[in-house]
Amino acid sequence: MTRLRLLALALAASLALALPAIAEDPEPPSRNYFVYVCAESDDTVHLIRFGPGGTDEIDRIAVGSFPTETEGPHGINLSPDGRHWFLSIAHGMPFGSVHKYETGTNEWLGDATLGMFPATMDISPSTGLLYVVNFNLHGDMVPSTISVVETGTMIEVATIDTGVMPHGARMNADGTRLYSVNMMDDELVEVDTLRFEIARRLALGTDPPDPHAHHAGMGGMTGDMGGMRMPVVKPTWATKPSPDGKVYVAGNGDSAIYEVDLGSWEVSRRFDAGPGENPYNLEITSDGSLLVATYKSGNRVAFWDLESGSLIAAPETTRRVPHGVVVTHDDRYAIVTLEGVGGEPGTVEVYDLAAAERVGEVNVGKQAGGIIYWNGEN
Amino acid sequence: MLSQSVNPIPPVARSRGRARLPAWIVASMALAVPAAAQEPTELVVTPSELSLEVGETAQLQAEVRDASGAAMDSQVVFFSRARRYVGVTPAGMVEAHRPGEHTLIALAPVGDGPADRRSEASVRVEIPVTVAWPPLASVDVAPLPSSLYAGTSLPVSAAATDESGADRKPEFAWSSSDASVATVSEHGMLMLHSEGSATITASAEGVRGTADLSVAANPAVRIEVSPDGIEARTGDVVWLDASARDSAGNAVPDYPLQYAVFTRTPPNLVAPGAAAFVEPDGAFVAERAGLHTVVVSGGGLTARTSIRAVPRNIRKDWEIVGRGPVRDRHTSDLWVWEGLDGRDYAVTGTWGADGHAYFWDVTDPSSVHLVDTVRVNARTVNDVKVSPDGKFAVISREGASDRKNGLVVLDVSNPTDGVRVLSRYDDQLTGGVHNVFVADEHIYALSAGRRYDILNAEDPANPYRVGRFELDTPGHGIHDVWVHEGIAWSSNWTDGIVAVDVGGGDLGGAPNDPKMIGSFTYPSGWNHAGFPYRSQSTGKMLVFAGDENFPWSFDPNGELPDRAAGWVHIAEWDEDGGQGREVARYQVPEAGSHNLWVEDDILYVGYYNGGLRVVDVSGDLRGDLYTQGREIAFFEPADPDGHKKNAPFVWGPQPFKGHIFLTDWNSGLWVVKLVDPETPRNMGEPQ
Repeated sequence: MTRLRLLALALAASLALALPAIAEDPEPPSRNYFVYVCAESDDTVHLIRFGPGGTDEIDRIAVGSFPTETEGPHGINLSPDGRHWFLSIAHGMPFGSVHKYETGTNEWLGDATLGMFPATMDISPSTGLLYVVNFNLHGDMVPSTISVVETGTMIEVATIDTGVMPHGARMNADGTRLYSVNMMDDELVEVDTLRFEIARRLALGTDPPDPHAHHAGMGGMTGDMGGMRMPVVKPTWATKPSPDGKVYVAGNGDSAIYEVDLGSWEVSRRFDAGPGENPYNLEITSDGSLLVATYKSGNRVAFWDLESGSLIAAPETTRRVPHGVVVTHDDRYAIVTLEGVGGEPGTVEVYDLAAAERVGEVNVGKQAGGIIYWNGEN
Repeated sequence: MLSQSVNPIPPVARSRGRARLPAWIVASMALAVPAAAQEPTELVVTPSELSLEVGETAQLQAEVRDASGAAMDSQVVFFSRARRYVGVTPAGMVEAHRPGEHTLIALAPVGDGPADRRSEASVRVEIPVTVAWPPLASVDVAPLPSSLYAGTSLPVSAAATDESGADRKPEFAWSSSDASVATVSEHGMLMLHSEGSATITASAEGVRGTADLSVAANPAVRIEVSPDGIEARTGDVVWLDASARDSAGNAVPDYPLQYAVFTRTPPNLVAPGAAAFVEPDGAFVAERAGLHTVVVSGGGLTARTSIRAVPRNIRKDWEIVGRGPVRDRHTSDLWVWEGLDGRDYAVTGTWGADGHAYFWDVTDPSSVHLVDTVRVNARTVNDVKVSPDGKFAVISREGASDRKNGLVVLDVSNPTDGVRVLSRYDDQLTGGVHNVFVADEHIYALSAGRRYDILNAEDPANPYRVGRFELDTPGHGIHDVWVHEGIAWSSNWTDGIVAVDVGGGDLGGAPNDPKMIGSFTYPSGWNHAGFPYRSQSTGKMLVFAGDENFPWSFDPNGELPDRAAGWVHIAEWDEDGGQGREVARYQVPEAGSHNLWVEDDILYVGYYNGGLRVVDVSGDLRGDLYTQGREIAFFEPADPDGHKKNAPFVWGPQPFKGHIFLTDWNSGLWVVKLVDPETPRNMGEPQ
C-alpha cells in the first residue's frame, strides 16, 4: 500500500469519525423497499427487501440459457409503470441479450439479441422504447452502439453509433434524451431518443489527453489502441439530469466526478474523489441535492452535497468492489451493490441518506452489480 | 487522498459534433416537458399501408391530433420491426430491402402526465408493408440419370432462382408432354411407364424448367443382391451390392433400385419396433437381433437376401477404482498425463467458485491423492490442458474479479514438489478463455467465445501471440478447439465443426497463418465440442461432434438433479474435399452430451445427467449407435455428499493406461475400469 494511499485512508477515517456529530440517528424504515440486483458471476437476479423487518432476500431468479456457462447479467431496469423489469446479459454466442420479466412474479417473458456485452439501459417513459448500451468491454477498441428495443415485442428496432465502450444510460424525465458515456473516448453523449441519433458529445478531461496517464481503475481495457487517444477520465456512468439541468459523470480513470451543465453543455464543476478511489456508479436524489457514488477501488460509498459541492461522508463498505447504487423514491435510502472478489458472495448494503450511515446489508450471488429500485407496486 | 475539493471551472471541456446551440434552446430540449396541455390522442399516417418492390422507397406522412381533432406540433417516431428487410428514417422515408410481409411503427411520444406511471406511448400506428418477391428468373429440373428404363421410378426435383439471384422454394406443378411415357407423382417420383420420349416440366409462378426424357425399353430380367446368408452383429454395417441384370447377365447401368427390410426377431424380443434399415447406398444395419430379409426392387423385379443379426454382446460392467472427491464446489474439466518423473498426474478445474485447479497424483488409481492446489483470479477454471511433453499446463480463467481473464501457464514438471505459475496471459483475452488446447509448442485459446488466438509457447514463461482464427459468418460463436495432426478442429454452435490448417493440412497453414479447410454443420446449431479421430478399423477420418443444450429448467445451486439434452453427431470427413457428412449419431434419451474422447475405436462421452458412456465405434457407422447395442457401459457417479447430492453430471472423460478418468460436476474426480460382466447382456434388446 502506498504512502499516499495510507494518508488517504487515514483522512477518510478521520472524516468518518467526525461525521456522526453532524449526522442524525437513522429512523427505522416504516415501509418496505425493494431492489432487483444482478449477480454477474452467478447468473442470478435477487429480489431484496429492506424494511421494518430488516434486509432480506425474498426471491432468487436464475437467468440465462446456458447454466454451465457464466453469461453475466449486468444491467437491469424497470419499466416506467413498474410492470416489467429488463435485464441485460453480457455474454452469448457471442452476442449478449436483453430479457423481459414480469415484476413480482419474475416470470420470463421474452428476449432480444443485441451487441457485444450489452450493459446499462433505460426506458423512455414517453415511447416505451428501451435503450441498451453495448459495452463491448472485451472487444477491440472500436466504436460500439446503443441498441433500441421495442419492449412490447422485444425486437431491436435500431442501433445508434456512439463510441468506444459505452456504459451508463439514464433518461431525462420525459424520455427524449438519454445520457451515456464512452469510456475509452472520454466523452459524455446525449442521445436524441426520438431520432435515434447522438445529439451532442462532450469531451471530458484534459485536451490533449496525457499520453502517459496511468490507466488504473476499471478493468478490461488492454490491447492496442490503434493510434487512438489514450483515455484519462474513463467515464463509467452518467446520472439522470437533476431538476436544475445537471448530469453527473463518474470519472473512473482520473478518480473524479464531473458535473455537466446541460444548458451550456460544459463541465461546471469537478469533484476530486481522491487518488485510488475510482468512482464507478452514481445516483442523485430526486431534488438533485445529494449525490451518492460507489468508489470501486476505494471500497467506499461517498455522499456528496451538491449544493455546496462538499463531501458529506465516505464510509467503507463491508466488502470489496462497490458497484451499483440506487436511491429510493422517497430519497430516504441509497442501496448499493458490492461485487466481492473470487468466491465471495456479493452484498447489498442499505444507507440512510440523512445519516449517511449503513442500516442494512444482505449477501447475494457472486459479483453483485446492476441494481434497480422497485417501490413494490406495479 | 480523499478530498472534498471542488473545481468550479473545469480544466477543459468542449463539445464536438453538432454546432453548439444557444443554452436556452438546449435547456428546453433537454429538460422541459412539452408545454402543450393537450395529450396526443390520434396519429394518422398516410399511406396507411405500403406495397413496394425491393429497392423502392416511399415517404410516410404523419399527423398527430389532440382530443378535439386538431393537429398538434408533435414529433413522430418511426421504426421498423424488421429493419434488415424494410427500413425507415426518422423523417419517415421507407426503403424496401428484402421481400416479405413486414411492419413499420409510428408513434407519438406522450409528453405530459406522471412519467413514472407510464409504460409506453399510447398513440401508435402499425403500417403493414408488403415487399414483393422478385419474379422467378429460372426453374431447373435436377439432372437425371443418362439411362432411363420403362417400368422404373425414381425421385425427381427442381430448383428455382429469382431475379435477385436468391434461391426460392416455390410449389412446383409438374406436367408431362406424354403421360403414357412418363409422369411425376404428387410426392415427386418420376414414373416411367413405357418406352419413348417425353418432356417433363416443373412450373412455378409462370416460369418453367424442363427435362427431356428418352425412356428405353427395360432390359432387366432379374436383380442380384449379395451377400446372402451371412451373420452380423447388431450395429455392424453390411454393404449390400445390388444390381439389375439383362438377359446376358450384364449389369444394367443407372437402374433405380429401392430397398425394404422385414424381420423375424427371436421370440424373446418383445415389441422390437423397427429392427433394421437399409440406406439408399446399400448400407444395412440391424438394431435388433433376428433374421432380417432385405427386398431389393425396381421395375417390377425383386430380389432378396437374408442377414442374421446376433446380439453384439459387448456389455461391460464398471468398477470404481478411486476417487478425488471435490464436494464443496463444482468441478469442470480434467487432464491426465504421465509426468516427467514417471508418476501419473491429473489436473481438474473448478466452476463458479474461487479459481482453483487441483493437481492429483493418480499413479495408483486406487489411491488418488491431492499433491497441490493452484488458485488464480477467476471464478471458473473451465478448462485444463497439459503440454504433450508434460512440462507445462494451461488453465483458463473466467469471472476474474478485475474482469481481466485470460489464461495461466503452470510449471508441472514436478507436481509432487509443487506446481508454480510460469506466466499469466490476458492480452486480448480479457473477455474470458473458455477452452484451451496445447499442441506443437503452441497454445490455442478461445477469446470471449468469438475466436481463438494462437500463442507461441516455446518458452512457456513468455508466451506471445502469433496468430488467430475467427469465422466471418454473421453472429459467429465458438466454444471449443482441439488440434490433431496439424489441423485445428473447432466447435462453433450454428457454424458447426470447422477444420483449419495450422501446419498439418495441404493449404500451407501454420500457427501464424491458419487457413480454413472446411466445415460441416447440422440443423440444431448445438455444436459444443468436437473430437477428430481416424478410425483404426476403417482408416476413415471421423469427427465426433458433441451437442450441448439445456431445454429444461436447470438450477446449479438447487437441490434437484439437473438435465441436459443433445447427442454426438458422427461425420465422415472427406479429406480431399474438406467437408463432413454426418453418417451416424449416439443419442441417449433424456440426457445431454458434453465433452468426449475417442481412443482405440471406443468413444467415451461425458453425458451430463446420463453419466459416463462408453461406446463401440469400430467399423463403419450408420444410424443411431445407442439403439444398436454398441454401448459398452455406462456409469453414473452418485455421491450422497456431493455439491449436489446424488446428482450425476459428468463433465468429461479421459481413458488413461487402462482406466477411465472422469470429472463429475457435483463430486469431482473419479477413476473406474471396465470389467467383464458376470452375466453377458446386450443392453437395448427389449427382452
